[in-house]
Amino acid sequence: MESEKKSPPKLTRRNYSKIIRPVFGILVVGYILSRLYDVLLVQQAYTAEIWVRLLISGLIIGGVYALIAIGYTLVYGILFMINFAHGEVMMIGTFAGYFLFEATKSINVASAGNPPLSFSNAYPLISVILAFIVGMTVAATAGFFLEKIAYRPLRKAPRLIPLISAIGASFFLQNAAQLLFSPQVRDYANPQAIARGSGWTLIINDSRVIVTYTGVLTFVLSILLMIGLYLMVQKSKLGKAMRAVASDKNTAALMGIDVDAIVSRTFIISGALAGAAGVMWGLHNGLVHFFVGFLPGIKAFTAAVLGGIGNIPGAMLGGLFLGLVESLGPTALGISYQLKDVISFVIMIVILIFRPSGILGEVLSEEKV
Amino acid sequence: MNKEIIRSSSRKGLLFGIVMIFLVLINFHIMAATMISKLLGTNVLRGAFPEVRYMIIFLVIYGLWVGWSAVSREGKTITKLLEGLTAGITTGIVVGLFGLILFFLLETQTDVRRYLTALSFPSINIFLLGLRGIGVPVLFGLFTLTGVAGGMLAVGLRSKFITELKQSVRTTVINLRQRITNSLPDKVNQYGKYGIYLILLIVLLLLPSRWGSYNNFVFGMVGLYVILGIGLNIMLGLSGQFMIGIAALFAMGAYSVALLNSPFPHGLMWGFWPSLAIGVVMAVIGGLLLGLPIMRLRGDYLGIVTLGFGEIIRILLNSDLLTDLTGGPRGIQNIQQPTFLGQPFTDVSYAYLIIVAMAVSIFLYYRLENSRTGRAWLSIKEDTLVARATGVDVQKYKLLALCVGAAFAGLAGGIFAARNQFTGPNDHTLMVSINVLSVVIVGGLNSIPGIILGSFALRGLPELLRELETYRLLVFGALLVFMMLVRPEGLWPSTRPDLEEKGSSGLKEDIDAHEEGRGNA
Repeated sequence: MESEKKSPPKLTRRNYSKIIRPVFGILVVGYILSRLYDVLLVQQAYTAEIWVRLLISGLIIGGVYALIAIGYTLVYGILFMINFAHGEVMMIGTFAGYFLFEATKSINVASAGNPPLSFSNAYPLISVILAFIVGMTVAATAGFFLEKIAYRPLRKAPRLIPLISAIGASFFLQNAAQLLFSPQVRDYANPQAIARGSGWTLIINDSRVIVTYTGVLTFVLSILLMIGLYLMVQKSKLGKAMRAVASDKNTAALMGIDVDAIVSRTFIISGALAGAAGVMWGLHNGLVHFFVGFLPGIKAFTAAVLGGIGNIPGAMLGGLFLGLVESLGPTALGISYQLKDVISFVIMIVILIFRPSGILGEVLSEEKV
Repeated sequence: MNKEIIRSSSRKGLLFGIVMIFLVLINFHIMAATMISKLLGTNVLRGAFPEVRYMIIFLVIYGLWVGWSAVSREGKTITKLLEGLTAGITTGIVVGLFGLILFFLLETQTDVRRYLTALSFPSINIFLLGLRGIGVPVLFGLFTLTGVAGGMLAVGLRSKFITELKQSVRTTVINLRQRITNSLPDKVNQYGKYGIYLILLIVLLLLPSRWGSYNNFVFGMVGLYVILGIGLNIMLGLSGQFMIGIAALFAMGAYSVALLNSPFPHGLMWGFWPSLAIGVVMAVIGGLLLGLPIMRLRGDYLGIVTLGFGEIIRILLNSDLLTDLTGGPRGIQNIQQPTFLGQPFTDVSYAYLIIVAMAVSIFLYYRLENSRTGRAWLSIKEDTLVARATGVDVQKYKLLALCVGAAFAGLAGGIFAARNQFTGPNDHTLMVSINVLSVVIVGGLNSIPGIILGSFALRGLPELLRELETYRLLVFGALLVFMMLVRPEGLWPSTRPDLEEKGSSGLKEDIDAHEEGRGNA
C-alpha cells in the first residue's frame, strides 16, 4: 500500500530535476547570446584592431595554460589525483629562469662600451635556450622529488589523502620560496633583443597592433612542445607504456612495465612542461614572485577539466579555449575586465553540467570517476 | 651487506645535510638558537642575534638526531655505530662544503642578499660559530662526533633492557586501570563518561572569562572552524560529495549578517539574531542553487565545479559590479554588535555564543548521523547504485546534505562577521575552503573529536605559535604532508566500522584460526 502511495511523487520529482538543467543552460546561453548581440551588432563599440589585440593575447596566455594543463592531465590520467602543487612546480621553473637570466646578465663579454655588453644581450638566443633548459630541468627535478616524497607512499590510499598531501606540498613550496627569495616582486631580466613590449607592428585600420617577440616565442614554443609531447605519447615506447599504465596499472605491471618508473617519468615530463611554461610566463609578463604559480595553476587545472581531464589533446584545446575566453570574453560580453575569471568559471560549470567529462573527455567508467 | 648499510646511511646523512643547508638559507638556525637561548633563560632582543653557544647546542641536537635516525632497528651494535658514524660524516661533509662557500662569501664580502634574503653576514658568522675559516672543520668534526653519539644514544635507548622496561610499565598501567575499573561500582563506570563531559563543560564555561581576549579570539577561530568542519563533513564525510567551495556558503552567512547590520552601504539595522537566521537561510539557498545543476557530477569534477563556484562568489564580491550592493573590495565595516537580554556583546560573550553554537552543531550532527537521513547519506557515499536500488532518493538526499552543510557554514559565517565587526572578500578566499578541508581530513573524516582536534592543530596552534610567525605556513605545509604519510586516517579517526574491510579481514582471521587449529592437531 505504502509503496504505491510513494511512487507517484517520486516520478514527478525526477521530472522536476530533469527540467532544472536545461532551464539553467538556456538561461546562461541566452544571456551570453543577448550580450553578444548587444555588444557586437547594436553597440559596435570595438574596432577590429582591438579584437586582434585581444585574440593575440588570448592565444599567448592560452598556450601557457595549455602547457600547464597538460601536466595536470598527464598525472591525472595515470594516478587519478589532482596534483595541486603543479602550479608551484611552474613557479620553481620561473625562478630558475630568473636566476639564469640574472647570471647571464652579470657576465660581461666585452668590457668596452657603457654599459658593458653582457652575455645575455650579446647572445640572446643562447641565453634564452639556456634559460629554458635550466628552467625545465629544475622544474622536472622538483616534480620528480615531489612525487617521490609526497605522493608515492600514498599510491594505495583513498583519493582525498594524496590531494591533502599535494595541498601541503603546495604550501610548503610556496613558503619555502618566500623565505628563500623574500616576498618581493622581481623583474625578469629579458635580453634586450626580446625586451617586453617590443615586437613586430601590424597596421590594422590605421592603428598599430604590436605582436611582441616574447608572445610569439611563447606561442610557437608551446605549440612545438605540445606537438612533441603528443608524438612522444603516441609513438614512443615510453608513451606506449604511459598509456598502458593509465588504462590499467596492474595489467601493465604484468606485461613487464615498471609502473613506478613510468609514474616518475610522467612527473618529470609534466614538471619540464610546467618549467617551460614558467620561463615563458616570466619572459612575457616580466614578474616573478613566490605566488606566481598559484593562479595559473588553478586556471590550468580548470582548462584540463574543460578539455576532459586525462585527455592530452583535450588539455591543449582547453588551455587555448580558456585563454581566448579570458581575453575576449569580458569585451565581447561588454562586462568589466575584473570579471574575466567569472566568465571562465561559468563556462567551465556549464560545460561540465552538460558534458560531465569535458569537451573531449571519454565517458568515464564508474570506477574512474 | 656492509656496503648496503653504508650506502643507505650515507644517503640519510646527505638528506639531513641538505635539510640543514635549507634551514640556514631560510635563517631558521638563528631562530632555533634564539628559542634555545630563551628556553635556557637568556632573552634575546628582537632583531638581535643569539650567542654562539646556543647555536652549538642547536647543531649538537641536530647531529644527534642525524645519528639517531640513521641507526636501523635490527643488527649488531657495531654496525649500528658504524651507521651513525657514516651518516654523521656525510652530513659533516655536506654542511662543511656549504660552510666553505659561506666562508668564501664572508671573506670576499660578497652580499648575496639580493637573491637569498636570509644570508646576511652576522647570520653566516654565527653559523660558522664565530670562528670564520676554522669553523668549517669544526662543523665537520661536530657532526661526525654527534653522529656517533646519536648512534650510541639509539643503541642505548633501544636496547633490550629499555624495551622490556617500557613493556612492563605499559602492562602495569593497563593492569592498574583494569583494577580501578573493576573496583568501582558499575554506576560510576556507566556514567563516568558523562562526568567527564560535565567537567569539560564547566571548564569551557569558566575559561572564556579568565584567559584574556587574545585567547578568546583564538578559541573563537577554532570554534568557528569546528562548525565549518561539521558542515563540510556532512557533505564530504557522510554523503560523499567532494566540496571545495565552502567559503562561498560561509560568505553568504557572513554577508547577510554584515549587510543587515551596518550603517554602510544600506543602513539597515535589523539586529544580530534575526539576521543570523537570515544568514543561515541564505546559505541554504546558496547550497540549493549550487546543488541543483550539479547533481550529475561526481568525484573530482564536483570538486572543481564547487571550487569554481567559490571563486565566482569571491570575485563577484571583489568586483565593481556589486560595490553598491556589497561594499566591493573594501568590505563592510562597523557591523553593529549584538545584544543579549539588553547586554552588549564582549569577547567573552562571543566565546560563549561560539560554545553554544558548537554544542548545538555537534548535537545536531550526531542526531543526523544516526537518523534515517544519515544512513541514507552513508549508503549513497558507499555505493550510489545500491542506494538507489534500495529505494533511497539519491538526488533528494544529496541536495539535502548540501543544504544542511551549508546551514552550518552560514551559521559560522554570521558569527564570524559579527565578531570581527568587519567582513570583506579577503575573508572568503579559496584558502578558507582549503583550510576547512584540511581540518576535516587531518582530524579524521566522520569523527567529531577528530574535527575538534584538527581545528586546534591547524587553526589554534599556528595562532599561538606567533613566535614562529615567519615559518608558520612552511611548517603547516610540511606537517600536512607528514600527517598524510604517517597517519592518513586522521588524528582521531572515526570509530564507525568500515563494514566491507572488517568483513573480509574477519573472514581471513577465521581461515587463519582454522589453519592454525589444523596445524596443532
